[in-house]
Amino acid sequence: MGAELRIDGLCAGYGRVDVLRDVTLRVDAGEMVTLIGSNGAGKSTLLKAVAGLLRPAAGTVTLGGVPITGMAPERIVRQRLALVPEGRMLFGPLTVDENLLIGAHSRPARDAGVAADLERVRMLFPMLAERGAQISATLSGGEQQMLAVGRALMSGPEVLLLDEPSLGLAPRVIAAIFEALDTLRSEGLSILLVEQDAHLALRHADRGYVMRNGAIALEGPADKLRDDEQVRHAYLGGRPETRE
Amino acid sequence: MIRTRLAFSPYVAIAIAAAAVAAVPVLSPDRYLLKVLVYVGVNVIVIAGLALLFGHAGQISMGHAAFVGIGAYTSAYCVGHVGLPWLVGALAGTALAAAGGLVLALPALRLRGHYLAMATLGFNEIMYVAFREARGITGGGDGLGGISYPEVAGLSIDSPVGVYLLVWGVALVVLLLVANILRSRPGRAMRALHATENGALACGIDTVGLKIRTFALSAGLAGLAGALYAHSVGFISPGTFGLDQSVIYVAIVVVGGAGSLAGPVLAAIALTLLPYADALIPGLGKDAVALLQDWEADIYGIAMIAVVILAPAGIGGLLTRLRIGRAGEAHV
Repeated sequence: MGAELRIDGLCAGYGRVDVLRDVTLRVDAGEMVTLIGSNGAGKSTLLKAVAGLLRPAAGTVTLGGVPITGMAPERIVRQRLALVPEGRMLFGPLTVDENLLIGAHSRPARDAGVAADLERVRMLFPMLAERGAQISATLSGGEQQMLAVGRALMSGPEVLLLDEPSLGLAPRVIAAIFEALDTLRSEGLSILLVEQDAHLALRHADRGYVMRNGAIALEGPADKLRDDEQVRHAYLGGRPETRE
Repeated sequence: MIRTRLAFSPYVAIAIAAAAVAAVPVLSPDRYLLKVLVYVGVNVIVIAGLALLFGHAGQISMGHAAFVGIGAYTSAYCVGHVGLPWLVGALAGTALAAAGGLVLALPALRLRGHYLAMATLGFNEIMYVAFREARGITGGGDGLGGISYPEVAGLSIDSPVGVYLLVWGVALVVLLLVANILRSRPGRAMRALHATENGALACGIDTVGLKIRTFALSAGLAGLAGALYAHSVGFISPGTFGLDQSVIYVAIVVVGGAGSLAGPVLAAIALTLLPYADALIPGLGKDAVALLQDWEADIYGIAMIAVVILAPAGIGGLLTRLRIGRAGEAHV
Protein backbone atom coordinates (compact mmCIF):
# COMPACT_ATOMS: atom_id res chain seq x y z
CA MET A 1 0.00 0.00 0.00
CA GLY A 2 2.91 2.37 0.48
CA ALA A 3 4.36 4.31 -2.41
CA GLU A 4 7.70 5.95 -2.93
CA LEU A 5 8.01 9.72 -2.53
CA ARG A 6 10.88 11.49 -4.26
CA ILE A 7 11.71 15.15 -3.84
CA ASP A 8 14.41 16.47 -6.17
CA GLY A 9 16.04 19.89 -6.04
CA LEU A 10 12.96 21.51 -4.53
CA CYS A 11 12.97 25.28 -4.05
CA ALA A 12 10.04 27.13 -2.52
CA GLY A 13 9.20 30.17 -0.45
CA TYR A 14 6.66 32.81 0.36
CA GLY A 15 6.51 35.72 -2.07
CA ARG A 16 10.09 36.87 -2.57
CA VAL A 17 11.37 35.10 0.51
CA ASP A 18 13.09 31.85 -0.42
CA VAL A 19 12.81 29.25 2.27
CA LEU A 20 13.76 25.96 0.67
CA ARG A 21 16.98 25.69 -1.28
CA ASP A 22 17.53 22.68 -3.48
CA VAL A 23 16.06 20.06 -1.18
CA THR A 24 16.45 16.46 -2.24
CA LEU A 25 14.82 13.79 -0.13
CA ARG A 26 13.31 10.39 -0.62
CA VAL A 27 10.94 8.12 1.27
CA ASP A 28 10.98 4.54 0.01
CA ALA A 29 7.78 2.54 -0.06
CA GLY A 30 6.88 1.44 3.46
CA GLU A 31 9.60 3.49 5.08
CA MET A 32 9.33 5.98 7.96
CA VAL A 33 11.60 8.92 7.35
CA THR A 34 11.96 11.84 9.68
CA LEU A 35 12.95 15.39 8.92
CA ILE A 36 14.39 17.16 11.93
CA GLY A 37 15.77 20.62 12.41
CA SER A 38 15.34 23.74 14.49
CA ASN A 39 12.48 26.19 14.31
CA GLY A 40 12.32 28.04 11.02
CA ALA A 41 14.57 25.61 9.20
CA GLY A 42 11.90 25.09 6.53
CA LYS A 43 10.47 21.72 7.57
CA SER A 44 6.82 22.78 7.45
CA THR A 45 7.42 24.67 4.23
CA LEU A 46 8.71 21.48 2.65
CA LEU A 47 5.58 19.56 3.65
CA LYS A 48 3.35 22.35 2.33
CA ALA A 49 5.21 22.39 -0.99
CA VAL A 50 4.89 18.61 -1.32
CA ALA A 51 1.17 18.61 -0.42
CA GLY A 52 0.41 21.38 -2.89
CA LEU A 53 -0.46 24.07 -0.36
CA LEU A 54 2.51 26.04 -1.63
CA ARG A 55 3.69 26.12 -5.23
CA PRO A 56 7.34 25.16 -5.55
CA ALA A 57 9.57 27.56 -7.50
CA ALA A 58 11.77 24.79 -8.83
CA GLY A 59 12.39 21.09 -8.50
CA THR A 60 10.19 18.04 -8.80
CA VAL A 61 8.08 15.86 -6.54
CA THR A 62 7.04 12.41 -7.65
CA LEU A 63 4.71 10.00 -5.91
CA GLY A 64 5.07 6.38 -6.94
CA GLY A 65 6.70 7.61 -10.14
CA VAL A 66 3.92 10.09 -10.94
CA PRO A 67 4.98 13.74 -10.99
CA ILE A 68 2.83 15.84 -8.64
CA THR A 69 4.88 19.03 -8.61
CA GLY A 70 2.69 22.12 -8.41
CA MET A 71 -0.55 20.14 -8.58
CA ALA A 72 -3.58 21.53 -6.75
CA PRO A 73 -3.86 20.04 -3.26
CA GLU A 74 -7.15 18.26 -3.98
CA ARG A 75 -5.53 16.44 -6.90
CA ILE A 76 -2.53 15.48 -4.80
CA VAL A 77 -4.82 13.98 -2.15
CA ARG A 78 -6.38 11.89 -4.90
CA GLN A 79 -2.88 10.71 -5.81
CA ARG A 80 -2.92 9.17 -2.31
CA LEU A 81 -0.77 11.61 -0.41
CA ALA A 82 -2.19 12.97 2.84
CA LEU A 83 -0.96 15.67 5.19
CA VAL A 84 -1.54 15.98 8.91
CA PRO A 85 -1.01 19.72 9.04
CA GLU A 86 0.77 21.81 11.61
CA GLY A 87 -1.67 22.84 14.33
CA ARG A 88 -3.98 19.97 13.27
CA MET A 89 -6.47 22.23 11.43
CA LEU A 90 -9.47 20.24 12.56
CA PHE A 91 -13.02 21.31 11.76
CA GLY A 92 -13.67 22.43 15.32
CA PRO A 93 -17.44 22.95 15.28
CA LEU A 94 -18.00 19.60 13.57
CA THR A 95 -18.21 16.20 15.22
CA VAL A 96 -15.47 13.59 15.25
CA ASP A 97 -17.40 11.50 12.70
CA GLU A 98 -17.94 14.48 10.42
CA ASN A 99 -14.22 15.28 10.53
CA LEU A 100 -13.47 11.71 9.53
CA LEU A 101 -16.05 11.78 6.73
CA ILE A 102 -14.58 14.99 5.33
CA GLY A 103 -11.21 13.27 5.42
CA ALA A 104 -12.64 10.89 2.82
CA HIS A 105 -13.94 13.78 0.68
CA SER A 106 -11.52 13.01 -2.15
CA ARG A 107 -12.96 9.53 -2.62
CA PRO A 108 -16.17 8.62 -4.42
CA ALA A 109 -19.14 8.24 -2.07
CA ARG A 110 -19.54 4.59 -2.97
CA ASP A 111 -15.88 3.73 -2.42
CA ALA A 112 -15.98 0.55 -0.31
CA GLY A 113 -12.52 1.42 0.98
CA VAL A 114 -13.98 4.30 2.98
CA ALA A 115 -15.86 2.00 5.35
CA ALA A 116 -12.82 -0.25 5.67
CA ASP A 117 -10.56 2.71 6.42
CA LEU A 118 -13.04 4.01 9.00
CA GLU A 119 -12.84 0.65 10.78
CA ARG A 120 -9.06 0.75 10.58
CA VAL A 121 -8.88 4.27 12.02
CA ARG A 122 -11.20 3.30 14.86
CA MET A 123 -9.07 0.24 15.60
CA LEU A 124 -5.98 2.43 15.64
CA PHE A 125 -7.56 5.05 17.93
CA PRO A 126 -10.50 3.43 19.78
CA MET A 127 -11.22 6.82 21.37
CA LEU A 128 -12.46 8.04 17.98
CA ALA A 129 -15.07 5.29 17.87
CA GLU A 130 -16.31 6.12 21.36
CA ARG A 131 -16.51 9.85 20.72
CA GLY A 132 -17.96 9.88 17.22
CA ALA A 133 -20.73 12.35 18.03
CA GLN A 134 -18.57 14.70 20.09
CA ILE A 135 -17.77 18.18 18.78
CA SER A 136 -14.11 17.94 17.87
CA ALA A 137 -13.15 21.29 19.42
CA THR A 138 -14.02 19.82 22.83
CA LEU A 139 -11.49 16.98 22.54
CA SER A 140 -8.22 17.16 24.46
CA GLY A 141 -5.07 18.09 22.55
CA GLY A 142 -3.95 14.48 22.27
CA GLU A 143 -7.36 13.33 21.09
CA GLN A 144 -7.42 16.12 18.53
CA GLN A 145 -4.04 14.98 17.20
CA MET A 146 -5.35 11.44 16.92
CA LEU A 147 -8.35 12.75 15.02
CA ALA A 148 -6.07 14.73 12.72
CA VAL A 149 -4.11 11.56 11.92
CA GLY A 150 -7.35 9.60 11.53
CA ARG A 151 -8.82 12.20 9.22
CA ALA A 152 -5.73 12.10 7.00
CA LEU A 153 -5.93 8.28 6.87
CA MET A 154 -9.54 8.49 5.67
CA SER A 155 -8.30 9.65 2.26
CA GLY A 156 -6.66 6.23 1.88
CA PRO A 157 -3.09 7.53 1.51
CA GLU A 158 -0.03 5.64 0.33
CA VAL A 159 2.21 8.37 1.70
CA LEU A 160 1.46 10.18 4.96
CA LEU A 161 3.10 13.49 5.87
CA LEU A 162 2.97 14.61 9.50
CA ASP A 163 3.88 18.06 10.76
CA GLU A 164 4.97 18.00 14.41
CA PRO A 165 2.42 15.55 15.76
CA SER A 166 4.01 15.61 19.25
CA LEU A 167 3.82 19.37 19.71
CA GLY A 168 2.40 20.40 23.09
CA LEU A 169 1.27 16.90 24.06
CA ALA A 170 1.85 14.88 27.24
CA PRO A 171 4.48 12.11 26.96
CA ARG A 172 1.89 9.38 27.44
CA VAL A 173 -0.22 10.70 24.56
CA ILE A 174 2.84 11.14 22.37
CA ALA A 175 3.74 7.51 23.01
CA ALA A 176 0.26 6.42 21.90
CA ILE A 177 0.45 8.44 18.69
CA PHE A 178 3.90 7.15 17.82
CA GLU A 179 2.82 3.62 18.55
CA ALA A 180 0.06 4.15 15.99
CA LEU A 181 2.61 5.47 13.48
CA ASP A 182 4.73 2.36 14.04
CA THR A 183 1.66 0.23 13.34
CA LEU A 184 0.91 2.14 10.15
CA ARG A 185 4.49 1.75 8.98
CA SER A 186 4.41 -1.98 9.73
CA GLU A 187 1.28 -2.17 7.57
CA GLY A 188 3.34 -0.73 4.72
CA LEU A 189 2.44 2.98 4.72
CA SER A 190 5.23 5.36 3.72
CA ILE A 191 5.63 8.11 6.31
CA LEU A 192 7.46 11.43 6.25
CA LEU A 193 7.56 12.81 9.76
CA VAL A 194 8.58 16.36 10.59
CA GLU A 195 9.54 16.66 14.24
CA GLN A 196 11.21 19.05 16.61
CA ASP A 197 11.74 16.30 19.16
CA ALA A 198 14.69 14.68 17.45
CA HIS A 199 15.13 12.01 20.13
CA LEU A 200 11.63 10.79 19.62
CA ALA A 201 11.68 10.98 15.84
CA LEU A 202 14.99 9.17 15.46
CA ARG A 203 13.86 6.39 17.80
CA HIS A 204 10.92 5.57 15.53
CA ALA A 205 12.15 6.37 12.03
CA ASP A 206 14.17 4.22 9.65
CA ARG A 207 16.13 7.13 8.23
CA GLY A 208 16.45 10.80 8.94
CA TYR A 209 17.32 14.10 7.32
CA VAL A 210 18.54 17.16 9.19
CA MET A 211 17.46 20.47 7.77
CA ARG A 212 19.27 23.71 8.38
CA ASN A 213 18.44 27.07 6.81
CA GLY A 214 16.21 25.55 4.18
CA ALA A 215 18.68 22.95 2.97
CA ILE A 216 19.44 19.36 3.91
CA ALA A 217 22.55 19.42 6.09
CA LEU A 218 22.81 15.74 6.95
CA GLU A 219 21.13 12.47 6.17
CA GLY A 220 21.48 8.87 7.16
CA PRO A 221 19.98 5.92 8.99
CA ALA A 222 18.20 6.99 12.17
CA ASP A 223 20.57 5.22 14.54
CA LYS A 224 23.61 6.73 12.81
CA LEU A 225 22.14 10.20 13.14
CA ARG A 226 21.42 9.61 16.79
CA ASP A 227 25.07 8.80 17.37
CA ASP A 228 26.31 11.64 15.17
CA GLU A 229 28.34 14.16 17.14
CA GLN A 230 26.95 17.15 15.21
CA VAL A 231 23.33 16.09 15.50
CA ARG A 232 23.71 15.24 19.13
CA HIS A 233 25.22 18.60 19.85
CA ALA A 234 22.70 20.65 17.89
CA TYR A 235 19.43 18.78 18.36
CA LEU A 236 19.78 16.22 21.11
CA GLY A 237 20.94 18.54 23.85
CA GLY A 238 24.60 17.50 23.63
CA ARG A 239 24.21 14.45 25.85
CA PRO A 240 24.38 10.85 24.78
CA GLU A 241 21.15 9.00 24.31
CA THR A 242 20.36 7.46 27.68
CA ARG A 243 16.71 6.63 27.35
CA GLU A 244 15.45 3.11 26.58
CA MET B 1 -21.65 3.35 8.70
CA ILE B 2 -21.49 6.71 10.40
CA ARG B 3 -24.63 8.04 12.02
CA THR B 4 -24.77 11.78 11.77
CA ARG B 5 -26.41 13.41 14.77
CA LEU B 6 -29.85 14.39 13.63
CA ALA B 7 -32.69 14.18 16.06
CA PHE B 8 -35.16 16.00 13.87
CA SER B 9 -35.21 15.52 10.13
CA PRO B 10 -35.42 18.73 8.06
CA TYR B 11 -37.83 16.86 5.79
CA VAL B 12 -40.31 16.59 8.64
CA ALA B 13 -39.95 20.32 9.25
CA ILE B 14 -40.51 21.06 5.56
CA ALA B 15 -43.58 18.79 5.48
CA ILE B 16 -45.03 20.64 8.49
CA ALA B 17 -44.24 23.96 6.82
CA ALA B 18 -45.99 22.79 3.63
CA ALA B 19 -49.10 21.95 5.63
CA ALA B 20 -49.00 25.35 7.30
CA VAL B 21 -48.57 27.08 3.94
CA ALA B 22 -51.59 25.26 2.54
CA ALA B 23 -53.66 25.99 5.63
CA VAL B 24 -53.23 29.78 5.62
CA PRO B 25 -55.48 30.71 2.66
CA VAL B 26 -58.14 28.30 3.94
CA LEU B 27 -58.15 29.80 7.41
CA SER B 28 -57.81 33.43 6.38
CA PRO B 29 -58.08 34.50 2.75
CA ASP B 30 -57.24 38.08 3.76
CA ARG B 31 -55.61 39.86 0.77
CA TYR B 32 -53.31 41.97 2.89
CA LEU B 33 -52.06 38.98 4.90
CA LEU B 34 -51.39 37.00 1.70
CA LYS B 35 -49.50 39.94 0.21
CA VAL B 36 -47.31 40.21 3.29
CA LEU B 37 -46.73 36.47 3.25
CA VAL B 38 -45.62 36.64 -0.39
CA TYR B 39 -42.97 39.09 0.71
CA VAL B 40 -41.99 36.72 3.55
CA GLY B 41 -41.74 33.80 1.09
CA VAL B 42 -39.48 35.81 -1.22
CA ASN B 43 -37.20 36.61 1.72
CA VAL B 44 -37.16 32.96 2.81
CA ILE B 45 -35.77 32.04 -0.62
CA VAL B 46 -33.06 34.70 -0.41
CA ILE B 47 -32.17 33.67 3.14
CA ALA B 48 -31.99 29.97 2.23
CA GLY B 49 -29.31 30.90 -0.31
CA LEU B 50 -27.47 33.22 2.04
CA ALA B 51 -27.57 30.65 4.87
CA LEU B 52 -25.77 28.32 2.47
CA LEU B 53 -23.12 30.85 1.48
CA PHE B 54 -22.63 32.82 4.68
CA GLY B 55 -24.06 30.61 7.42
CA HIS B 56 -22.44 27.40 6.24
CA ALA B 57 -19.57 28.13 3.86
CA GLY B 58 -18.59 31.21 5.89
CA GLN B 59 -18.37 33.52 2.86
CA ILE B 60 -20.04 36.82 3.66
CA SER B 61 -22.01 38.66 1.00
CA MET B 62 -23.17 42.19 1.62
CA GLY B 63 -24.47 42.25 -1.93
CA HIS B 64 -27.38 39.86 -1.97
CA ALA B 65 -30.00 42.55 -2.47
CA ALA B 66 -28.25 43.35 -5.75
CA PHE B 67 -28.75 39.75 -6.90
CA VAL B 68 -32.43 39.98 -6.02
CA GLY B 69 -32.50 43.15 -8.12
CA ILE B 70 -30.74 41.49 -11.05
CA GLY B 71 -33.32 38.70 -11.00
CA ALA B 72 -36.23 41.13 -10.69
CA TYR B 73 -35.17 43.53 -13.46
CA THR B 74 -34.04 40.77 -15.82
CA SER B 75 -37.30 38.91 -15.52
CA ALA B 76 -39.41 42.06 -15.77
CA TYR B 77 -37.49 43.16 -18.88
CA CYS B 78 -37.56 39.75 -20.58
CA VAL B 79 -41.32 39.44 -20.08
CA GLY B 80 -42.32 43.10 -20.46
CA HIS B 81 -40.03 44.28 -23.30
CA VAL B 82 -38.91 41.12 -25.06
CA GLY B 83 -42.20 39.33 -24.65
CA LEU B 84 -40.83 36.05 -23.37
CA PRO B 85 -43.00 33.75 -21.25
CA TRP B 86 -42.75 34.33 -17.49
CA LEU B 87 -40.99 31.00 -16.83
CA VAL B 88 -38.26 31.88 -19.32
CA GLY B 89 -37.94 35.36 -17.82
CA ALA B 90 -37.65 33.97 -14.30
CA LEU B 91 -35.04 31.46 -15.45
CA ALA B 92 -33.11 34.23 -17.22
CA GLY B 93 -33.20 36.32 -14.03
CA THR B 94 -31.97 33.37 -11.99
CA ALA B 95 -29.21 32.63 -14.49
CA LEU B 96 -28.01 36.22 -14.75
CA ALA B 97 -27.91 36.57 -10.96
CA ALA B 98 -25.96 33.30 -10.76
CA ALA B 99 -23.53 34.71 -13.34
CA GLY B 100 -23.20 37.79 -11.13
CA GLY B 101 -22.42 35.42 -8.26
CA LEU B 102 -19.62 33.91 -10.34
CA VAL B 103 -18.15 37.39 -10.82
CA LEU B 104 -18.41 38.12 -7.11
CA ALA B 105 -16.78 34.78 -6.30
CA LEU B 106 -13.56 36.04 -7.89
CA PRO B 107 -12.71 38.47 -5.07
CA ALA B 108 -13.86 35.80 -2.60
CA LEU B 109 -10.99 33.61 -3.78
CA ARG B 110 -8.51 36.15 -2.45
CA LEU B 111 -10.39 38.02 0.25
CA ARG B 112 -11.68 36.94 3.63
CA GLY B 113 -13.84 38.37 6.41
CA HIS B 114 -14.07 42.14 6.47
CA TYR B 115 -12.33 42.55 3.14
CA LEU B 116 -14.79 40.25 1.41
CA ALA B 117 -17.61 42.16 3.11
CA MET B 118 -16.25 45.42 1.68
CA ALA B 119 -15.87 43.97 -1.83
CA THR B 120 -19.42 42.62 -1.90
CA LEU B 121 -20.74 45.85 -0.41
CA GLY B 122 -19.07 47.70 -3.28
CA PHE B 123 -20.76 45.34 -5.73
CA ASN B 124 -24.17 46.20 -4.26
CA GLU B 125 -23.47 49.93 -4.57
CA ILE B 126 -22.39 49.55 -8.19
CA MET B 127 -25.50 47.57 -9.03
CA TYR B 128 -27.67 50.10 -7.21
CA VAL B 129 -26.30 52.86 -9.41
CA ALA B 130 -26.79 50.65 -12.47
CA PHE B 131 -30.44 50.01 -11.55
CA ARG B 132 -30.98 53.76 -11.21
CA GLU B 133 -29.13 54.85 -14.31
CA ALA B 134 -30.00 52.14 -16.87
CA ARG B 135 -33.37 53.83 -17.43
CA GLY B 136 -34.10 52.05 -20.70
CA ILE B 137 -34.24 48.73 -18.89
CA THR B 138 -35.03 49.54 -15.29
CA GLY B 139 -37.13 52.66 -15.53
CA GLY B 140 -34.58 54.50 -13.40
CA GLY B 141 -35.25 55.91 -9.97
CA ASP B 142 -39.00 56.13 -10.58
CA GLY B 143 -39.15 52.38 -10.79
CA LEU B 144 -40.71 49.96 -13.20
CA GLY B 145 -44.43 49.38 -12.96
CA GLY B 146 -47.09 47.31 -14.65
CA ILE B 147 -45.11 44.10 -14.48
CA SER B 148 -47.37 41.25 -15.52
CA TYR B 149 -48.42 38.48 -13.16
CA PRO B 150 -46.59 35.15 -13.29
CA GLU B 151 -47.89 32.88 -16.00
CA VAL B 152 -47.42 29.14 -16.18
CA ALA B 153 -48.52 27.20 -19.28
CA GLY B 154 -50.62 30.08 -20.54
CA LEU B 155 -52.41 30.36 -17.22
CA SER B 156 -52.01 33.72 -15.50
CA ILE B 157 -51.54 33.47 -11.75
CA ASP B 158 -53.21 36.72 -10.84
CA SER B 159 -55.19 35.97 -7.68
CA PRO B 160 -53.62 36.73 -4.28
CA VAL B 161 -54.01 33.08 -3.27
CA GLY B 162 -52.42 31.89 -6.51
CA VAL B 163 -49.40 34.17 -6.17
CA TYR B 164 -49.04 33.21 -2.54
CA LEU B 165 -49.11 29.49 -3.34
CA LEU B 166 -46.65 29.94 -6.22
CA VAL B 167 -44.11 31.84 -4.12
CA TRP B 168 -44.36 29.48 -1.17
CA GLY B 169 -44.35 26.42 -3.42
CA VAL B 170 -41.05 27.60 -4.88
CA ALA B 171 -39.77 28.51 -1.40
CA LEU B 172 -40.47 25.00 -0.10
CA VAL B 173 -38.76 23.39 -3.09
CA VAL B 174 -35.77 25.67 -2.50
CA LEU B 175 -35.67 24.73 1.19
CA LEU B 176 -35.80 21.07 0.25
CA LEU B 177 -32.93 21.57 -2.20
CA VAL B 178 -30.81 23.50 0.27
CA ALA B 179 -31.50 21.03 3.10
CA ASN B 180 -30.42 18.25 0.75
CA ILE B 181 -27.20 20.01 -0.16
CA LEU B 182 -26.42 20.67 3.48
CA ARG B 183 -26.85 17.02 4.40
CA SER B 184 -24.62 15.72 1.63
CA ARG B 185 -20.97 16.02 0.66
CA PRO B 186 -21.02 19.61 -0.62
CA GLY B 187 -22.68 20.71 2.64
CA ARG B 188 -20.00 19.04 4.70
CA ALA B 189 -17.32 20.59 2.50
CA MET B 190 -18.88 24.03 3.07
CA ARG B 191 -18.79 23.62 6.83
CA ALA B 192 -15.21 22.38 6.57
CA LEU B 193 -14.28 25.46 4.53
CA HIS B 194 -15.94 27.64 7.17
CA ALA B 195 -14.06 25.95 10.02
CA THR B 196 -10.59 26.14 8.47
CA GLU B 197 -9.71 26.69 4.86
CA ASN B 198 -6.25 25.12 5.25
CA GLY B 199 -7.75 22.07 6.89
CA ALA B 200 -10.21 21.80 4.01
CA LEU B 201 -7.37 22.02 1.49
CA ALA B 202 -5.43 19.33 3.35
CA CYS B 203 -8.50 17.07 3.10
CA GLY B 204 -8.58 17.41 -0.65
CA ILE B 205 -11.50 19.81 -0.85
CA ASP B 206 -11.36 21.97 -3.97
CA THR B 207 -11.98 25.21 -2.07
CA VAL B 208 -11.77 27.38 -5.19
CA GLY B 209 -14.47 25.40 -7.01
CA LEU B 210 -16.55 25.16 -3.86
CA LYS B 211 -16.54 28.93 -3.31
CA ILE B 212 -17.42 29.63 -6.94
CA ARG B 213 -20.26 27.10 -7.01
CA THR B 214 -21.66 28.23 -3.68
CA PHE B 215 -21.58 31.91 -4.65
CA ALA B 216 -23.30 31.15 -7.95
CA LEU B 217 -25.99 28.99 -6.36
CA SER B 218 -26.65 31.47 -3.57
CA ALA B 219 -26.84 34.40 -5.99
CA GLY B 220 -29.05 32.38 -8.34
CA LEU B 221 -31.55 31.73 -5.54
CA ALA B 222 -31.58 35.46 -4.76
CA GLY B 223 -32.24 36.12 -8.46
CA LEU B 224 -35.09 33.61 -8.47
CA ALA B 225 -36.57 35.36 -5.42
CA GLY B 226 -36.27 38.66 -7.29
CA ALA B 227 -38.08 37.30 -10.33
CA LEU B 228 -40.91 36.06 -8.11
CA TYR B 229 -41.03 39.36 -6.27
CA ALA B 230 -41.19 41.51 -9.42
CA HIS B 231 -44.13 39.63 -10.92
CA SER B 232 -45.97 39.18 -7.62
CA VAL B 233 -45.84 42.82 -6.62
CA GLY B 234 -45.95 44.29 -10.13
CA PHE B 235 -43.68 47.23 -9.31
CA ILE B 236 -39.95 47.41 -8.56
CA SER B 237 -37.59 50.29 -7.87
CA PRO B 238 -33.88 50.53 -7.02
CA GLY B 239 -34.61 51.33 -3.36
CA THR B 240 -35.71 47.75 -2.75
CA PHE B 241 -32.33 46.40 -3.81
CA GLY B 242 -30.03 48.75 -1.91
CA LEU B 243 -27.27 48.10 0.56
CA ASP B 244 -29.62 48.45 3.55
CA GLN B 245 -31.57 45.43 2.34
CA SER B 246 -28.33 43.43 1.96
CA VAL B 247 -27.43 44.34 5.53
CA ILE B 248 -30.85 43.13 6.68
CA TYR B 249 -30.29 39.80 4.91
CA VAL B 250 -26.97 39.35 6.68
CA ALA B 251 -28.58 40.35 9.99
CA ILE B 252 -31.28 37.73 9.49
CA VAL B 253 -28.70 34.98 8.98
CA VAL B 254 -26.77 36.14 12.06
CA VAL B 255 -29.92 36.23 14.19
CA GLY B 256 -30.96 32.87 12.75
CA GLY B 257 -27.59 31.34 13.46
CA ALA B 258 -24.64 30.35 11.30
CA GLY B 259 -24.54 26.65 10.53
CA SER B 260 -28.33 26.35 10.64
CA LEU B 261 -31.05 26.47 8.01
CA ALA B 262 -34.15 26.37 10.22
CA GLY B 263 -32.86 29.24 12.37
CA PRO B 264 -32.35 31.75 9.55
CA VAL B 265 -35.66 30.73 7.93
CA LEU B 266 -37.51 31.38 11.20
CA ALA B 267 -35.63 34.66 11.62
CA ALA B 268 -36.56 35.63 8.05
CA ILE B 269 -40.23 34.98 8.76
CA ALA B 270 -40.21 36.82 12.09
CA LEU B 271 -38.19 39.83 11.01
CA THR B 272 -40.02 40.25 7.70
CA LEU B 273 -43.40 40.10 9.45
CA LEU B 274 -42.35 42.62 12.08
CA PRO B 275 -43.20 45.82 10.17
CA TYR B 276 -46.48 44.26 9.02
CA ALA B 277 -47.56 43.03 12.43
CA ASP B 278 -51.08 44.33 11.74
CA ALA B 279 -51.54 41.60 9.14
CA LEU B 280 -51.28 38.98 11.87
CA ILE B 281 -52.84 40.89 14.74
CA PRO B 282 -56.02 42.44 13.30
CA GLY B 283 -56.71 44.63 16.34
CA LEU B 284 -53.33 46.35 16.17
CA GLY B 285 -53.70 50.12 15.86
CA LYS B 286 -52.19 52.18 13.05
CA ASP B 287 -50.00 54.03 15.54
CA ALA B 288 -48.47 50.82 16.82
CA VAL B 289 -47.71 49.69 13.26
CA ALA B 290 -46.21 53.06 12.40
CA LEU B 291 -44.06 52.83 15.51
CA LEU B 292 -42.84 49.34 14.52
CA GLN B 293 -42.05 50.55 11.02
CA ASP B 294 -40.21 53.62 12.29
CA TRP B 295 -38.14 51.52 14.65
CA GLU B 296 -37.66 48.61 12.23
CA ALA B 297 -33.93 49.14 11.72
CA ASP B 298 -33.42 49.67 15.45
CA ILE B 299 -35.25 46.48 16.30
CA TYR B 300 -33.09 44.55 13.82
CA GLY B 301 -30.00 46.11 15.35
CA ILE B 302 -31.06 45.28 18.89
CA ALA B 303 -31.94 41.73 17.85
CA MET B 304 -28.47 41.34 16.35
CA ILE B 305 -26.70 42.70 19.42
CA ALA B 306 -28.83 40.53 21.70
CA VAL B 307 -27.99 37.44 19.67
CA VAL B 308 -24.27 38.18 19.59
CA ILE B 309 -24.22 38.65 23.37
CA LEU B 310 -26.83 36.19 24.61
CA ALA B 311 -26.97 33.42 22.02
CA PRO B 312 -24.04 33.60 19.62
CA ALA B 313 -25.29 30.53 17.77
CA GLY B 314 -28.58 32.34 17.03
CA ILE B 315 -32.01 30.80 16.82
CA GLY B 316 -30.49 27.71 15.24
CA GLY B 317 -28.27 27.26 18.30
CA LEU B 318 -31.28 27.56 20.60
CA LEU B 319 -33.11 24.93 18.53
CA THR B 320 -30.16 22.56 18.82
CA ARG B 321 -30.00 23.13 22.59
CA LEU B 322 -33.69 22.40 22.83
CA ARG B 323 -33.23 19.17 20.90
CA ILE B 324 -30.26 18.03 22.96
CA GLY B 325 -32.14 18.91 26.13
CA ARG B 326 -35.09 16.77 25.09
CA ALA B 327 -32.83 13.88 24.06
CA GLY B 328 -31.15 14.14 27.48
CA GLU B 329 -34.49 13.92 29.26
CA ALA B 330 -35.38 10.86 27.21
CA HIS B 331 -32.27 9.08 28.45
CA VAL B 332 -33.06 9.78 32.10
